[in-house]
Amino acid sequence: MIENQIRELFAGLAGARRETTRVDAERARRRGRARLRWRRAAVTGTPLLAVATAVTVAVTLGFTPGGLRRDGTATGTGPAAPRQFDPLVPYLSFGWLPAGNSLLRGGVSRTSAFMFAGRTATSPNVWDLGIYAAGRCHLTSGAKKLTCGSAGPTIDITRPAPAVHGHRAWWTNSSNMWWADAGLVWQYARNGWAWLILPNMYRYPPQQVAAVRRDAVRIAAHIRYGAPTRPLVFPAQLVHVPGNWRVSSVLYTPDGRVLQASSFALAGGRPSLGSDGGLDYQKGLPTIGIGPDSPKSTCPRRGESNREVINGVRVVVSHSAAGGLPRQDLCAAHADGLTLFVSEQGAHPAIGVASLFRNHLRLLGGNPANWARNPFG
Amino acid sequence: MSGSRDDEYTEYVAARLPSLQRLATVLCDDWQRADDLVQATLTKLYTQWSRVRDATHPDAYARTVLVREFIHERRSPWAKWVSLTGEMTDPPVITVDHDIALDLRAAVAALPARQRATLVLRFYCDLNVVQSAEILGCSPGTVKSQTAKALETVRKVLAPAPNPGARPHPPRSATR
Repeated sequence: MIENQIRELFAGLAGARRETTRVDAERARRRGRARLRWRRAAVTGTPLLAVATAVTVAVTLGFTPGGLRRDGTATGTGPAAPRQFDPLVPYLSFGWLPAGNSLLRGGVSRTSAFMFAGRTATSPNVWDLGIYAAGRCHLTSGAKKLTCGSAGPTIDITRPAPAVHGHRAWWTNSSNMWWADAGLVWQYARNGWAWLILPNMYRYPPQQVAAVRRDAVRIAAHIRYGAPTRPLVFPAQLVHVPGNWRVSSVLYTPDGRVLQASSFALAGGRPSLGSDGGLDYQKGLPTIGIGPDSPKSTCPRRGESNREVINGVRVVVSHSAAGGLPRQDLCAAHADGLTLFVSEQGAHPAIGVASLFRNHLRLLGGNPANWARNPFG
Repeated sequence: MSGSRDDEYTEYVAARLPSLQRLATVLCDDWQRADDLVQATLTKLYTQWSRVRDATHPDAYARTVLVREFIHERRSPWAKWVSLTGEMTDPPVITVDHDIALDLRAAVAALPARQRATLVLRFYCDLNVVQSAEILGCSPGTVKSQTAKALETVRKVLAPAPNPGARPHPPRSATR
């Protein structure tokens, strides 16, 4: 019965052990109290701005830098892992994959780099590789767990695995996974850790599981770090933007001989909103999703949204609130051969999404041959 | 806000937080989003504390706030934006992938928020149709139809599963 399978799924999700939480009841109470003050002020006519300043919300998503622990282990030998990655350099590439598998997508931020490989772009049955900058992950005493940042993964180590290029390695079970030996962790460089999650192991009959594990070790052994990769190219460039803007994180997909930046987030001296899905977000700065358009590309209307024509392109501009902060979104389904999304979160964006599209975004068309390696023009 | 009221709120949250987190995790299938959902829920509970306190079943009230917040959040432009960019980066796949069909978790995660919430209320919270309808703010008939649609969708996805007894394997979405 499918119902029983769903019950089992939900029970598993609910029962997964959590090492950390970002829920803060005291913050909720403060924010709730501020909201009540706001409501009362609205009723009595008190100037709202004075009240609004009392409301502060720190939304942190994903990997926020945690307190670095020195456990005295896992420092290893050989070259050190990068202290930071350059988001404009993919850094990783697969040297070997099982037949039928290829790179599906990847991403780089300052703290981690990752790649997915599989047979089809939308398959959940993927090889999922992530590596972390120096000092991000720490092995607990007794090599029972690998923790990567205060809000990052906590990986349960199950047993030793064959060494990867002479570096010690272990089979793992992440804390939200049910299948034993679902991943492999190893030191890819001194003070740097890599984690390869195997395709869904439960799908394999026992006689194939060992072969999948052998594939995992072989994949790990052939991963190239810091070697030249296909160039990362951007379908649009930012122009006339503040000099301190930089790309904080990029998601890419392979497209022929290039890696196409499909989403990228910007940073530049503003509070971090944390990371999610591989992108690092900053308050008031844009995150851009972009790629070749198709006849099916559309921009749905949602919330308080307006259709506008900017620079001859039909766009939808939306205003909303999410996570306690105002949000602006701009969507252009057909913009010079591209589909584009721009999103900003925060009350005072450096440049609003409409202005960004109008004055600061140079679209390079749908032909990858014309795309740029530098996202700033 | 009186101190005693704050104390009551704090005491309630301390006692019920794990339960709310579990429900949020099942709804979101993502710890980070679940934390955001619980955080938003706790804020709302504070602003509506007099109603929570006076409710016949405070837990049911809190659960209602959380589930509705989940549905509301999934409708927001940001959630759609993330979804849209995800679609954009994945080229269309024409061939049928039996691996996809096998993935129960992916199938349930792909359901519309209201259908997923309905399944969670029915099969995780073990609520009946009427109780689920009260939380979702709809009629019992809608709960029945949403449940049927969701199950049908999941069944279709899982139909060709050749490996009975297999256990679903979650993606690593929550870890980056």
